[in-house]
Amino acid sequence: MNNADYDAIVIGGGHAGIEASLALARLGYETMLITQSLDAIGRLSCNPSIGGLSKGNIVREIDALGGEMGKLIDKSMIQFRILNQRRGPAVQAPRAQADKFLYTRLAKETVENQSRLHPFQDTVVDFILDSSETKIQGVITERGRRFTAGTVVMTTGTFMEGNIFIGDWVTSSGRLGEPAAVGLGTSLRRMGFSLGRLKTGTPARVASSSIDYSKMEIQPGDDKIVPFSFAADTIVRPAVPCYITYTNERTHKIIRDNMDKSPLYGGKIVGTGPRYCPSIEDKVVRFPDRDRHQIFVEPEGLDSEEMYLNGISSSLPETVQEAFLRTIPGLEDVRVMRPGYAVEYDYLDPLQLSPSLMTKKIAGLFSAGQTNGTSGYEEAGCQGLLAGINAAMYMQGKPPLVLSRSEAYAGVLIDDLVTLGTKEPYRMFTSRAEYRLCLRQDTADIRLTQKSFDAGLQSAEAVERLNLKIEGIEEIKELLRGRRVNGKDVEEAGLRVTGLKERLGDTFEKLMKVPDFTTEDLLVIEPSLSETHRQWLDQAAIDIKYEGYIDRQQKQINRFKRMENLKIPAAFNYEGVNGISSESMEKLKEIRPLSVGQASRISGVRSSDIAVLLVLLGRGDDNA
Amino acid sequence: MKELEYNTDDSIAALATGWEESALAVIRTSGTDSIERAAAIFSNSAGMLAAEGGRIIYGFVIDPETGEKVDEVLAAVFRAPKSYTGENSVEFFCHGGLPAVATMLSALKKGGFRDAGPGEFTMRAFINGKLDLTRAEAVHEIVTAKTPRAHSLALNRLSGALEERIDGLKKRIVDMLSKVELLLDYPEDELDGQASGYPLDETELSRLCEDIECLAESFRAGRVFREGVPVALAGRTNAGKSSLFNLLLKEDRAIVSEFHGTTRDYIESWINVNGIPLRLFDTAGLRASENSVEAEGIKRSGEVIADAGIVLYLVDSAEGLNSEDETFLEDFEDKSRLIPVWSKIDRGGNSVPEGFIPVSAMTAEGLPRLEQALSDSALGKKGLDDEVIIDSIRQRDLLSRAAEAVRTVQAATAQQAPLDAVAMELKDAVDALGEITGEVSSADILNNIFLKFCVGK
Repeated sequence: MNNADYDAIVIGGGHAGIEASLALARLGYETMLITQSLDAIGRLSCNPSIGGLSKGNIVREIDALGGEMGKLIDKSMIQFRILNQRRGPAVQAPRAQADKFLYTRLAKETVENQSRLHPFQDTVVDFILDSSETKIQGVITERGRRFTAGTVVMTTGTFMEGNIFIGDWVTSSGRLGEPAAVGLGTSLRRMGFSLGRLKTGTPARVASSSIDYSKMEIQPGDDKIVPFSFAADTIVRPAVPCYITYTNERTHKIIRDNMDKSPLYGGKIVGTGPRYCPSIEDKVVRFPDRDRHQIFVEPEGLDSEEMYLNGISSSLPETVQEAFLRTIPGLEDVRVMRPGYAVEYDYLDPLQLSPSLMTKKIAGLFSAGQTNGTSGYEEAGCQGLLAGINAAMYMQGKPPLVLSRSEAYAGVLIDDLVTLGTKEPYRMFTSRAEYRLCLRQDTADIRLTQKSFDAGLQSAEAVERLNLKIEGIEEIKELLRGRRVNGKDVEEAGLRVTGLKERLGDTFEKLMKVPDFTTEDLLVIEPSLSETHRQWLDQAAIDIKYEGYIDRQQKQINRFKRMENLKIPAAFNYEGVNGISSESMEKLKEIRPLSVGQASRISGVRSSDIAVLLVLLGRGDDNA
Repeated sequence: MKELEYNTDDSIAALATGWEESALAVIRTSGTDSIERAAAIFSNSAGMLAAEGGRIIYGFVIDPETGEKVDEVLAAVFRAPKSYTGENSVEFFCHGGLPAVATMLSALKKGGFRDAGPGEFTMRAFINGKLDLTRAEAVHEIVTAKTPRAHSLALNRLSGALEERIDGLKKRIVDMLSKVELLLDYPEDELDGQASGYPLDETELSRLCEDIECLAESFRAGRVFREGVPVALAGRTNAGKSSLFNLLLKEDRAIVSEFHGTTRDYIESWINVNGIPLRLFDTAGLRASENSVEAEGIKRSGEVIADAGIVLYLVDSAEGLNSEDETFLEDFEDKSRLIPVWSKIDRGGNSVPEGFIPVSAMTAEGLPRLEQALSDSALGKKGLDDEVIIDSIRQRDLLSRAAEAVRTVQAATAQQAPLDAVAMELKDAVDALGEITGEVSSADILNNIFLKFCVGK
């Protein structure tokens, strides 16, 4: 390893690659970032936005762990919204429209300015292994260059053996106009990895000046911006609106009449597409009763003519796309700048990864992002970050940082991938998390910052800031527990806060538990609280309001943790174990779960198999 | 996600011998604190706590709430790891009558023991390495109680009809949960009118709750055997209630009241009629009284009668029916729970009115007919042929848990409470029903969303 060209090599400069390479460099490793195009670092290939339900939580988790995504979007957003404001704090999440061009520029600058990080433009087509073919030693590029390193993180996105489809037209690409990485998939297959095909799609980009916005609904952002990054208290950014319009029966008729020209329905595409993000062809076929489908018209950037038509991704021929777009109110004279298309690509069956995201077959080879079968910038980013951290841990000979399902969406994501695998592009949903009340976006730093600091990535300032926040919230709670509604409160605020009179003598804590009672009401009664940090105040309020639910969830978590804490040694030999069914045996040998808890989540593994594991792990002796 | 509940940190109890009339029954308990818990409801507490493993102690089990003696027993104390389960354990050898066993189990439950799930002792024995690994497959049959489908028929003796009904209820909750999850996972503006307003409907929830409760209640015959049926003896003073009480008891356990209106509070006892355990209550005679103690007794009699599964209403054949009797009989709503008895027929009183069962407590004449009427009423009209029979408290409890969760959701709906909290309750209801017929995973709920709604930008 000492004679290697670099400590680490990261393949790909997308959202996973950025986080992986920055983490490695920041942890002190000479890191090479090989990308097919230095101009394409941090591109937002699909929708021009970051965050959203559960995804916004992931961005905040990335930030809490010392990643970059939150900071990048804070500096490039052009609209901010908190979604689900009325549906409960556990599922509220921030989303921002990004200026794509600014985001990419900032990402590239960050990578370039990071010491020990060396961006290089080339295409990786093969790997260098040690003589036993069990350990990574480097990569080989398209131009025949050989670079050696102690660890390699693979973040190839949609580029590995990527094919783009528009009607009959097919080309080898990962993004329209950008060539695919051909050969890498073949190499991995040769090394014995199992790869699958997935499909995703993107809609047309059209010229803003050709749109009649007067025929559309306007969708503004929130007035108040809450930064994604915990490092910033407030940020000032421009706010531009999005627009909403709808398809109609005429649109649907054109799509139906041309369905035979769709590569999806014509059988050209074999990869599985995402059900949660269907193409307009899928929507028309699967929901024939719906007479319209919604389209969000979103700006790609402040200075760009391009507008993104969110909701109607399509791989129909370009002329068909143009024809159906022109049936839509406001798009009658629309000029398409880039057509919609479908992309099909190789992904690595994530069951071949351990929870550290290192491949089980080749030591030192990590994989993250869309390569692992996920979809979404946020999903990719958190994997990249953890793969980067764990590549460093691997070089240090330390145990990996594995987040639990009960402490992060990132933990749920990776556990699902490596335990259950995926057959369609995996997107995060809040309902995938059993303990979502404890995975709120405002608590990501409390859950994760210390862990990242312990791993050597997060800064001391971040921990200091976190401790200040924890103390601040505790002080607020202390005050709310001690302060009672008095006559003066009723006199001064009784008119503005309904029902206050009936609460005379109650503690503010009790008051806060009343469903309709808001932080605003609290500030009316106790204006001095407006001097404290508003986000702390909100967090204290939610903690109090949801105390009962959070306590219950915590009990569930404690039960869950008992099984998670029963570790299965890496060298555990399943061969010759009596009593485990052969089907389960195969799965256990393939997945090699780290804990009894993880083993119990593998589909097909039965309770009796778990019981046998418990016995073999010597649980009988400790009489727990 | 299947949930494994190898909860081994609490104490469990269950009847180890068969649920049938026998001379002796064995109740097994297990758990780290089982000896302490058992000692707390045992007359010779100190003796049990001090007992070495494998020792047998004589004593009484005491009901921790009433302080009354429940049964005279022999208790075998086992200390970990030398026990069937490998944990601390106490086994009670008690009287084998079903009513006696039911009271014992109830006392243990009050003492902090949980009803053991199917195969739970074996499970613990297995975890603690007390069973040979080659028996794993056999254990599997028992412990799959948490895995989808297979367990239900093998383990819980679920009839197809019952499973269908529970699945139906579960589907209704999953549909509701899907609507809630849809709103939690997709922002309002993306749903394009597919879900407007609050996604839950109070009336629908109320109906659902009733249906779950109704199912829980319909386990009548099963519950009858498990818990017994409360039977109240009612009637005017001196109608012969206490004499009939003793007749049904087949022993002179209770002291027959020698004075009019002196049974001022009810007394109760377990009896066995055709193998069905009945809790027989002798109540204070019903009459207007100025004596406050008696009045209180009469009031409590009224409560016993209201709570009783079956009411035996006695009329002295010598006295005949008066308006008071007629009012009671007419006002009694559920006639299937009412058995009118024409008592003291040995005295040759008035002729038997229609619907009355003539009985003599002196000669036992009419007793077989009365006992038949009691068992028929206890088992309900359909008797044991009812297709939704279940004998598991666990399942009844799970249904109740589901009903309670749904009721909480109903209350939350009335207040339009935040959906993330509501979802937790609905998930709890689904999980409770899922424990009976098979788990529902978050993937199932997502599938349901994608199937029913056109979502995704």
